[in-house]
Amino acid sequence: MKVLDALAKLQLVVVTGKGGVGKTTVAAALARLLAARGRRTLLLEIDPRESLHQLLGTEPSGGKIIKAGARLAVQNLQAQAVIEALVREKVKVGMLAKRIVSSPVFQHFTEGAPGLKEMSVLGYALRTVEGEYRHKADVVVLDAPATGHGASMLSAPLLLAEAVEGGQLGEMAQDLAGFIADPGRCGVVLATLAEEMPVQELIELVTLLRERMGRPPELVVANALYPPYPTDAPAPRRPDWAETLVLWEQRRAVNQRELARLERIWKGPLVELPLLPVERGPVLLAQIADALGEALA
Amino acid sequence: MTLNGLDRQLLVVVGAGGVGKTTLAAALGLQSAKAGADTLVMTFDPSLRLKDALGVGEEAKERPATVKAGTKGRLDVALLDARTTFDRLIRRYAPDAAAAERIFSNRFYRDLAGNLAGILEYMAVERLFEVQSERRYERIILDTPPTRQALDFLEAPDRIVNFLDSGAIRIALKPWWEQGGGLRGMPMRLAAKGVEEIADRIIGIRLLGDMLEFFRAFVPLYDGFRERAEEVRKLLRAPETLFVLVSGPGADRIPDTLFFARKLGERGHHVGPIVVNQIHPEAPAPDTPGPLAEGLALFHFLGQRDRDGVVRLRKLLSKGEPLVAVPLTATPPTDLPSLTRLGATLLAQLPG
Repeated sequence: MKVLDALAKLQLVVVTGKGGVGKTTVAAALARLLAARGRRTLLLEIDPRESLHQLLGTEPSGGKIIKAGARLAVQNLQAQAVIEALVREKVKVGMLAKRIVSSPVFQHFTEGAPGLKEMSVLGYALRTVEGEYRHKADVVVLDAPATGHGASMLSAPLLLAEAVEGGQLGEMAQDLAGFIADPGRCGVVLATLAEEMPVQELIELVTLLRERMGRPPELVVANALYPPYPTDAPAPRRPDWAETLVLWEQRRAVNQRELARLERIWKGPLVELPLLPVERGPVLLAQIADALGEALA
Repeated sequence: MTLNGLDRQLLVVVGAGGVGKTTLAAALGLQSAKAGADTLVMTFDPSLRLKDALGVGEEAKERPATVKAGTKGRLDVALLDARTTFDRLIRRYAPDAAAAERIFSNRFYRDLAGNLAGILEYMAVERLFEVQSERRYERIILDTPPTRQALDFLEAPDRIVNFLDSGAIRIALKPWWEQGGGLRGMPMRLAAKGVEEIADRIIGIRLLGDMLEFFRAFVPLYDGFRERAEEVRKLLRAPETLFVLVSGPGADRIPDTLFFARKLGERGHHVGPIVVNQIHPEAPAPDTPGPLAEGLALFHFLGQRDRDGVVRLRKLLSKGEPLVAVPLTATPPTDLPSLTRLGATLLAQLPG
């Protein structure tokens, strides 16, 4: 089955990778493709410093759901707000809920407790696709935090489900762990640059996913590749090109070396996206989405 | 040979993930040792190549390893690892071996404490205190953790100390653990009761028990943690400490860099040079179609984009902080000679 067909059947697509590899761009491009295939898509950003709106050409979300195209919406989601909403829902007495939410104990607990924020974001995604909120979506695309944190996002429910017995948190963790582990519902897309450190982290992350979740990611995207260097290009070459040509040839060689290293451990779907001479914004996003769509079709 | 304004006791290299902080920290370390200072580079997650180049391995997690670079001063590298540091801290500061064992065997500590928000950053602070108080080095260069929000590192000591210090855990758990345990005043009691009920209903009793046990075992260590964090807080604002802010190229990184520079200043840190790393050099526009044209056009675009970014950043920097533009090299700097060149390129752009 084609990769895009498989992705279009999922309810949650988690996009992660090392910082600075273009994770957000890949997530936005995927969301556009899924929406174009007829899926009502919600693109979730959890970095409080919003940047998706620049790519999509929309206004900043500020926590609200913003329309970003046919069947495509975007939201900047704050974990803290989700947790507070959950408390309000569970504690029926308004005064008491307010007191709890504003108490320093609660603030410190939610700030420091391992896995709680991750769980709340995943829980929000699950409830969205199950139609529990006013805003309906068939699929949530999550622009997850950078690798280390992204991995802990995926393993949080499992870890908590093991550590907690009973309680609503325990049950929620069980539900979410099941959701995350179900390859028919949830998929992981990893973004990387074809450079040493990002590839190193990617290899570690693939291993981690296999070990912790017992399954591979759906797709690996190698982003921002320098174009192939035409070694057999005929003369004339202007002397003032010399420096640029060396840079091009060498940087492409780094890309190829790292792609080869990646392919030794990753035999699954791999898409290569080019570095484009376009400023970050809607035009770039459209071109990246086209390239991604073509590669996945 | 001097370090052109970087001759402070502590250099903190900060910036977003993936901008080359670790490589720059190593390059600065080499220059510092070359200038004759015994130098320690503390880093989190160097690439295999960088570790190879410096000749350090996993043993540097336990104690600093010396780089055989033939420099006038000694150059050591310490790798920071949250779990190793945490374990060592507990071993060192626990009142006795039994108390340490109680913490080590606690399930909350084993499974979850390593994932506590900010723990990596906090452990960096602890490690910094440890090294600083030994006074074995004339200069320490601290590479900061690869967090997306680079400020997390600076806020971590405050956050964790507040968490331990506020009695949050004690207030939350005491009434549940010791029935009727000394809380005065109705509002407090009501709040505590609410929290207890919620905690019980939502979190579940087993995890709560594990957490309580962990924090109890931790109580004798609280005061030390707070004192050390306080010392480090002062150190990070002292005149002998300078922050080197690293940014990626391109105009879209500018808001982040400016935001960070401003925040550092507001928090009372001394901001030194701002390094825009991996700038594509200017490239001529291709004038004729051909097999090279498309690639050359890309490099022309990237060269312009990165130069525009630097020009705009320079204009926006309000206090005239020195700005250093480090060009992208054909091959990544992953051996001692290329790291030395990188450091020299950086220093050459600073006022002497």
